[in-house]
Amino acid sequence: MALQTTVERVEARVPVTVVALDGELDASTYEHLIDDVRGLYQDGARKVVLDLSGLTYMASSGLIALHSIVQVMHGEQPPDLEGGWSAFHALGNAAEGGKQEDVLLAGAQPGVTRVLERTGLDQLFSSYPDRASAIAAA
Amino acid sequence: MTVPAALDRLADIRALVREVAIAGGAPPVCLDDLVQAVDEAATNIVVHGYGHEAGPIDIDARVEDEQIVIELRDRAPAFDPTEVPEPDLSIPPLQRRPGGMGLHLIRLSTDSMTYRPRAGGGNILTLTRTLDPRPKEER
Repeated sequence: MALQTTVERVEARVPVTVVALDGELDASTYEHLIDDVRGLYQDGARKVVLDLSGLTYMASSGLIALHSIVQVMHGEQPPDLEGGWSAFHALGNAAEGGKQEDVLLAGAQPGVTRVLERTGLDQLFSSYPDRASAIAAA
Repeated sequence: MTVPAALDRLADIRALVREVAIAGGAPPVCLDDLVQAVDEAATNIVVHGYGHEAGPIDIDARVEDEQIVIELRDRAPAFDPTEVPEPDLSIPPLQRRPGGMGLHLIRLSTDSMTYRPRAGGGNILTLTRTLDPRPKEER
């Protein structure tokens, strides 16, 4: 199953851009997701909620996408993906650990949560049970 | 099953694994683990093994002694993934190289990963996962 993204802009305490992911996030789809979010950032989005409730599978390449999305939302250029995964380099200018607040996660299913926990990427994100609670916290 | 090594065929490979795992009585976490492990291994074959060039991936799956055994065979240059060291998860996520997590996920989602070179050139990776309903970390 391919990945479908649906974007919705919500006026909460601050403007929030909700990106709902439906399907499977794998090595064939992750670059599209990064491109989508880059476009949203260029259009002015500064707070993103990724609604993962419809995401049934996330590969390690999905983790690269999440990692890159955080960089995009920080106004940084993610590493060039064209050179393959070996193109990634140590990221010296990033924040010291802790959760960032530009990208929030909502509604992750147990399998996706397990992938985040197994790789430690859960340390980077505040996660909420559903879209509404993530928007309220944004 | 033989699948052309291409990123747009990964979904077919995952579908095959789901089918075999469900038929073999895999509980939900076991099913997720198998899908993850095989998807990551197949992705590595496509991206690193064949370097996005054409080539076959042969996949066999069987249930044996309360575990599901999946074998992936390719004709890519020899590479033993079991010799790749574990990533350092103590480094904060944003300072880490985000690649290299695939093998880490394979190790955590399987009970064994064994490698042997393939006669005539190529690689054989065998992944096993017990039918235990719990994730490996809780066993």
